[in-house]
Amino acid sequence: MKPVKIAMMALTHGHTRKYYQTLRENSKLDWVASCAADQRAKDVYELYNNGVPCYLSAEEMFAKHPDIEAVVIASANDQHLKEMKLCAERGVHILSMKIPTFDPKEYDEMIELVDKAGIVCQIELEMHYNPVVKRLQEIIASGKLGKLLSVQMTNITLSPVWAFPWQGVPEASYGSRVPLKKGDSRFRGGALCDHPHIFDLIRWLTGSDFDYVYSQVAPNLRPDIEVEDMILASGKMKDGTAFLFDPSWSRMEERLAVPAPGWEVFPKRMEVNVTITGEKGTVMCDCFGPNVYHNGAPHDRYTVQYTYFDEWIGLIDEFVDCIRNHKQPKINLRWHRQTIDFMNACYKSVETGLPANV
Amino acid sequence: MKLKEMNAALQRLRDKYAVKADGEIVAAKEGSIGNCAELKLADGTICKLLPWRKERRFIELKNLIDNKILEGVSTLRFMNLKAADCIRPLLYRELDLAAFLGEADVTSLFATVNGKTANLIVRLADGKSCSIECSAALPANAEPIDKHEIIARRGVACDRTVDTQVPQASIYEFTADGEKRYTDTDTELFGFELDEILTIRAAYAVLSDPSLVAQWNAIDAKVTAQVQNALESDKLRKPVCC
Repeated sequence: MKPVKIAMMALTHGHTRKYYQTLRENSKLDWVASCAADQRAKDVYELYNNGVPCYLSAEEMFAKHPDIEAVVIASANDQHLKEMKLCAERGVHILSMKIPTFDPKEYDEMIELVDKAGIVCQIELEMHYNPVVKRLQEIIASGKLGKLLSVQMTNITLSPVWAFPWQGVPEASYGSRVPLKKGDSRFRGGALCDHPHIFDLIRWLTGSDFDYVYSQVAPNLRPDIEVEDMILASGKMKDGTAFLFDPSWSRMEERLAVPAPGWEVFPKRMEVNVTITGEKGTVMCDCFGPNVYHNGAPHDRYTVQYTYFDEWIGLIDEFVDCIRNHKQPKINLRWHRQTIDFMNACYKSVETGLPANV
Repeated sequence: MKLKEMNAALQRLRDKYAVKADGEIVAAKEGSIGNCAELKLADGTICKLLPWRKERRFIELKNLIDNKILEGVSTLRFMNLKAADCIRPLLYRELDLAAFLGEADVTSLFATVNGKTANLIVRLADGKSCSIECSAALPANAEPIDKHEIIARRGVACDRTVDTQVPQASIYEFTADGEKRYTDTDTELFGFELDEILTIRAAYAVLSDPSLVAQWNAIDAKVTAQVQNALESDKLRKPVCC
């Protein structure tokens, strides 16, 4: 199969480093160009010696590389619509970051753009390609747990705002400056916006959609940021499955400008754990474990060294397959819409102090 | 091992990543004490496989040394317990891992062997020590238990988390049939047992990098001799040079 000529845009997203590795190593891709959102992003990009030209303007990149077939849009959430338009106008396929937009009107516009251009737009929700999740799906599908009763999931991490400042800016992360609730000085756009994976996974694993949710924020662990960092959500799916989610930034971090060893203060900087109880059984699952562990440089702290982390292989396999064989990705804009609606419902619940329908 | 399915998976990886060299995973010849399968290349050459060298936890442990997260490695502490007919394959793997993670050849060893158990104190060429505890005496159907710890002037690294004695799993399932565990680490080879996955990955590594054929065959000869040295050390009750 002919490799897909691919480019990256903006380079300010938290997953950018992972894409550098994937785009360099995956033989299905031919990484031809990048463009940075600003000089800072370009300077950081240069540190990785990717050997791929980097521009400061998407228009210039497309002009100099008219052969680009697909783009990874690795930017702040408020830039996605503008960048999708640039791609759609050129018939360039899109790998979108996990939040296309929180604005329902913008979201509809994105769907229309992609449909009209006849391009592939895959949302990056890499947990779908995690082998532990694959096993979990098999266990549930086998029926050995019986009817599902309850699901608890964590998607907890350190906060990326020091390395990726837009994630702490309400306008850039949520798309607008919306107070969390009356009398609260914080705004929408924090940890919740960073962690849609578990909200997507429960839909996938149960085959059901959300019914209602109650969500609550706690005092921030980082009082100096404008967005929420501690938040919980509980509710029910339409099939009656009860859930409890923790998508917080509950693990502290060194405030590094560029992620590097020693970033984490708590030993495990990222956790996606799932407990599922059915009428006939229970499973407990750590999607990123076991690992190897050390207390070496730079801070001599006990640290989890992530060991099995190849979700991007399956993700890119699907993206390339969809492009070359004109298929619709599993995680497309229409599928993902309810997950975004759920996240907005969480914020609504925080605002009102009452459960919100999804 | 499901050799037919494993070879089909190997061919899928070859096709996917456009690897030209071809080969077939075959059962190891009788008398071989290393991995139970080896790679037969298209020209008939046999390559001994060292699958643990392609196991991600060992690669990651080695990265901690190579990336200087650990500094001044002094001692390696290895344990390997499983249900097996014989102690030799266990010693083979751990002795090779000592050289791989210790990044130096084994130069001498002292062993105490009793039935299906063995304890070794190993010296590496650069002076590091390595202790190896092996037992093939776990009851049939027991899950293998192993642990690899690297102790350095700066930092300790281990493939088992602090305050635990047995390996963790990714998934714990509790039903009326009791408890069941799963640890899945490779999406591309999902559905195979771990030892099958590692063998396929090792075979694929050789096809991707043919220089491994001579390198791994040489290591096999060396480690096979070291296992024999261990058994002699026990009989002689003294350290043996390797």
